[in-house]
Amino acid sequence: MKTAVKPAAARTLNLVQAVNEALDVAMAGDPRVMILGEDVGRNGGVFRATEGLWKKYGDGRVVDTPLAEIGIMGSAIGLAISGFRPVAEIQFDGFMPSVFDQVVCHLGRIRSRSRGRMSVPLVLRAPHGGLIHAPEHHSESPEAYFCHTPGITVVIPSTPYDAKGLLLAAIESPDPVVFFEPKLLYRSAKGEVPAGRYTVEIGKARVVKEGKDITLLTWGAMTVTCEKAAARLEKEDGASVEILDLRTLSPIDLDAILASVGKTGRCVIAHEAPNSGSWAAELSALIAERGLLRLLAPVARVGGWDIRMPLFRLEQYYIPDADRVVMAARKTLSF
Amino acid sequence: MPLKTVASIDIKRLEILNVDGTVDKALMPKVPDKLLLEMYRLMFQIRHFDERAILLQRSGRLGTYPMITGQEATQCIPPLALKSSDWVVPTYRGGGVYFARGMQMRYGLLYWAGDDRGTHFPDGNNDMIFSIPVGTHLTQVAGLAWGQKLKGKGGVAVTYCGDGTSSKGDLHEALTFAGQFKLPAIYIIENNGWAISVPRERQSASQTLAQKAWGYGVHGLQVDGNDALAVYAATVEAVARARKGEGPTLIECETYRMGHHTTADDWTRYRGTKEVESWKKKDPIARFKKFLVSRKLWDDKKEKRLTTETRSWIDGEVKAYEEFAAPNPLNMFADQYDKAPSALIEQRAELEELLKFKGGAKVMMSLPPTEGRFP
Repeated sequence: MKTAVKPAAARTLNLVQAVNEALDVAMAGDPRVMILGEDVGRNGGVFRATEGLWKKYGDGRVVDTPLAEIGIMGSAIGLAISGFRPVAEIQFDGFMPSVFDQVVCHLGRIRSRSRGRMSVPLVLRAPHGGLIHAPEHHSESPEAYFCHTPGITVVIPSTPYDAKGLLLAAIESPDPVVFFEPKLLYRSAKGEVPAGRYTVEIGKARVVKEGKDITLLTWGAMTVTCEKAAARLEKEDGASVEILDLRTLSPIDLDAILASVGKTGRCVIAHEAPNSGSWAAELSALIAERGLLRLLAPVARVGGWDIRMPLFRLEQYYIPDADRVVMAARKTLSF
Repeated sequence: MPLKTVASIDIKRLEILNVDGTVDKALMPKVPDKLLLEMYRLMFQIRHFDERAILLQRSGRLGTYPMITGQEATQCIPPLALKSSDWVVPTYRGGGVYFARGMQMRYGLLYWAGDDRGTHFPDGNNDMIFSIPVGTHLTQVAGLAWGQKLKGKGGVAVTYCGDGTSSKGDLHEALTFAGQFKLPAIYIIENNGWAISVPRERQSASQTLAQKAWGYGVHGLQVDGNDALAVYAATVEAVARARKGEGPTLIECETYRMGHHTTADDWTRYRGTKEVESWKKKDPIARFKKFLVSRKLWDDKKEKRLTTETRSWIDGEVKAYEEFAAPNPLNMFADQYDKAPSALIEQRAELEELLKFKGGAKVMMSLPPTEGRFP
């Protein structure tokens, strides 16, 4: 959609401010948009993602719900079917399993079960990942469960610009979108964000930096880790590193992945979730299926260990850091 | 045909100890003096402990911590009606419950410092770690109570949830099972008025939370949760009923969260000081002290001695907590399975390799010994 309004000046925002601004723009532009969640109203969300919106749009559109995740998810589905554009917030990634029944059995199926007569244009927002010294069940990376579920789009930005543009695109999407927000980056990721409405296309990866020897394929907060690893690999090993931030996990931007890996011939996939059965496994399989003859080394996956997320004293040894990415990249480069 | 009333419910509220320290003699349970003093000690000590924990957090010596101030009666008293073999599962805001069960509080601090070694309960106690995704333990407690029933030794299972959690489907299913199978389960709804920023009245249109019990054939009542004597009497009665095979009870303890949700929260964003001040007058410890003084069981001298003892007890627990060496990172692989699969053996070796990469042999030598069972 083209607007006659000339683009407003960009300001530096952090990622949670960008999320907040996207919600504000969406609510101002479309009266069907409403926000549901625990503590999203008066308190402005535990991460302040909805700060100020309750005051601006009122209790009827920014709704502090009872503490019931299935209630939030199920009623958001009902609201979406009946013509509203709910943006539901689940307070922490570790509370998302509660909504699985609704997500797996209904969210992605209603369009096809109604033979296209109904759709569920809602957004399910949740913070994602670890490394903020949070309590147990507050540092999880559950994306693979959602990506495995047909009918659902899964998005995770790593910059403020993408956060705002992708969230606006998600809210405007005719189908359900699970929108993960890397909580480590909420305040640490800062960048230029234009005021007003703009969208970033869902389903397109972002080339963070170009390189020719190896591709680091990643998403979420791990994008920043990969940037650190790339800087070291370039300095210490003289390697030319390309980083691809997937941004949309499902559907996968296979063209971008094959273009990059086809060029470099080497790929390390870095993410925070337990490695086995992770979304990295799907990506690795796709690269093997579609790009095997371009590979110069096996695809390496660097993820969390196949154990539960430990309490935060050990989280930095669970979630891959730049050291682990560097180690994996060196093995791949010297294969 | 005229409409007939097919069911009606009657919700009782139990209050025994008034804020001025006087009691309703007709309702006063028989409690030996020694136990009364123990009730006071537990509530008094856990409040001071809570205050110290907050200070530790504020000075960067502890992670996010959920304070319990104001809820001491609801937390410390029910365990006094139980045996160590009875199951107890509190919420994450459960320091007072664990303390009354005999937990060494150094472990509580260790847990909130982000250390997995903190889930350490006294040997022989049937205590379980709380659930962080709230309410997900409630159906498990039906299972624990079911186990007690099948074993036939009169054991019970007691659990807690908050007013917020009472909105979750988990409580519905738990009470359905508890009622249907007539389980020796006691569900305490610790209604502290606030689920982070959402007040009780926004949680449910139900007039009381106690009345939810009736929908499941479970006995239910409301109790002044800041009244240690009422909490005790209600628990004793519920436990007796459960032990006799007469089924489950839901107790709504109406109390108040005096502090923030956790140290990561700020209650001034969503509630007024007037409300908080009004609850100060209903403080569970102050009124219990007045009661003890009126019974000639307590005086300034005893208070002074308890204060000194408490300070040195807390100092000792904090010292013991801070003396735990940083955990060996390899610990995280321990106790994942009865027998670790080969993938974990490989991944643990990979972590060892990473540690060497980070700091070389020196770092490996300086690591504390590993803890827990592996492979």
